[in-house]
Amino acid sequence: METLHPIVSFSYYIAAIALTVLIRNPAVTLGALAGGLCHWAFLTTAKEKRADVGFWLPLALLVTLFNPVFSHNGKTPLFFLNGNAFTFEATVFGAYSAVLVIAVLVWSKAYSRVVTSDKFLYLFGGALPKSALILSVALRYIPMLRKDAARLKDAGKTVGLYSKGSLTDNFLSSCRVYYALIGRTLENAVGTAESMRARGWGRAKRVPYSYYRFKKRDALVAAFSAVLLAVTLAASVSGALSFSFYPGLTAPPLSPLAAAAYGAFALYSLVPLILQTEVRLRWRSLQSKL
Amino acid sequence: MKPGTALKWLIFLLAIPAAAVLGLTVLRDVKWVVWTVAAAVLSAVPFVLTLEKRRHPLTKLILIAAMIALAVGGRVLFYALPGFKPVTAMVILAALYFGPEAGYLTGSFAALISNFYFGQGPWTPFQMAAWGLIGFAAGLLAKYLKKNLVLLALYGAVVGVLYSLVLNFEHTVATIGTFSRDEYVAVTVASLGFTAVYAVSNVIFLLVLCKPVGKILERVTVKYGLNEPPEAG
Repeated sequence: METLHPIVSFSYYIAAIALTVLIRNPAVTLGALAGGLCHWAFLTTAKEKRADVGFWLPLALLVTLFNPVFSHNGKTPLFFLNGNAFTFEATVFGAYSAVLVIAVLVWSKAYSRVVTSDKFLYLFGGALPKSALILSVALRYIPMLRKDAARLKDAGKTVGLYSKGSLTDNFLSSCRVYYALIGRTLENAVGTAESMRARGWGRAKRVPYSYYRFKKRDALVAAFSAVLLAVTLAASVSGALSFSFYPGLTAPPLSPLAAAAYGAFALYSLVPLILQTEVRLRWRSLQSKL
Repeated sequence: MKPGTALKWLIFLLAIPAAAVLGLTVLRDVKWVVWTVAAAVLSAVPFVLTLEKRRHPLTKLILIAAMIALAVGGRVLFYALPGFKPVTAMVILAALYFGPEAGYLTGSFAALISNFYFGQGPWTPFQMAAWGLIGFAAGLLAKYLKKNLVLLALYGAVVGVLYSLVLNFEHTVATIGTFSRDEYVAVTVASLGFTAVYAVSNVIFLLVLCKPVGKILERVTVKYGLNEPPEAG
């Protein structure tokens, strides 16, 4: 996914997240979660995986229980809580919401990993040069600010900031460092602007630097994804995927069109895994067998 | 900013939510998701278009970028205090001294950039719209907020609560796929703690930062003639 042209990867993730949120069908949502997890598995390190799971599991539990506690729709009460029905349907819907929330988080994480800020700037910088200018300058300033902040903090310690160890002292000391940082950065910004103007900023149309090329592989992935998307969307728009939780759970849609859509969407969410496997196989076949 | 442009923007800002509400009453079900995302994204259109079309002093653009970086980068300084983030206060201060448009840009780009570090997601457009509008409104009210510290603190508290309400809305719609009042109220109640932290930290940051940072911003504005007629750009 990382080697794809930004426009392909950006549209791929946006469509994946949009369909996950839009199509309210348990099979589709589970497919999105499964495909997303396959993708997540090779994007993150073991340590990150532990941290993510440690965050997602309690969140899923919370979302699952949250719904039946607050929503009393549904026709099958399991038990009564303060006179309110705790229904089977609401619990199932809570679990479904949890799967949905985690699926969206997984895909958002993958998006953040693959569509980095430079790709984002490449996509929107051409049409919106001034917004891109602001964004890229701000993005460049942040690491610089961090270094400056650390240095100012060290200097502050030598004159007695951060010495009391209390939270108030920490806050006020940080504020003192912050003022210095703000003054310094803004003066610096004016300097940047002066130097840009001296170099002729705004004299001619700006051409963003990029090394992205739209290759045959990009076209293939885009076309393949587009076909799968079209099938899924067609099924969804025609109502073949509709499923409702209240008052009772409806029978899962299993028409040929619905089945085709499940297959298409599952395949769609597995595109990153397919690409990764392809790259690995190619790597292996390129290694010398001697 | 001329009154005419302010009016145009307000129409945009009112027209979009109105369109969203209208769409919601006519279309139902998943249309909530479509409409709310569309509203959040569309609210940025007038600002981005004015930014791209009008001529701006380059210095101002770079200063806005610096304010965005300071708002986002400032978080590392205050990491010891969970939930205490200077972002909203910085957005408001940028708006007070650089104008409503700059306030919007600082707010929405700060949300976008901060999510490059903390993770993008369906919440990004909502955070961008919420922080952007907080900055825009602060810029419009600059005359009063600059003079009156109590009013400024009050503004910080109110927008802290509003910000939380907007994001609860996003959470509700993203989780259950449609808008339900019960669910929204439940989410709001469950997140009261966060809302309180937002509001209180906004007030504290505004009160502490407004004098010294205001002085810096004022000095930069005067020193480099930022509110003078723009040049090439």
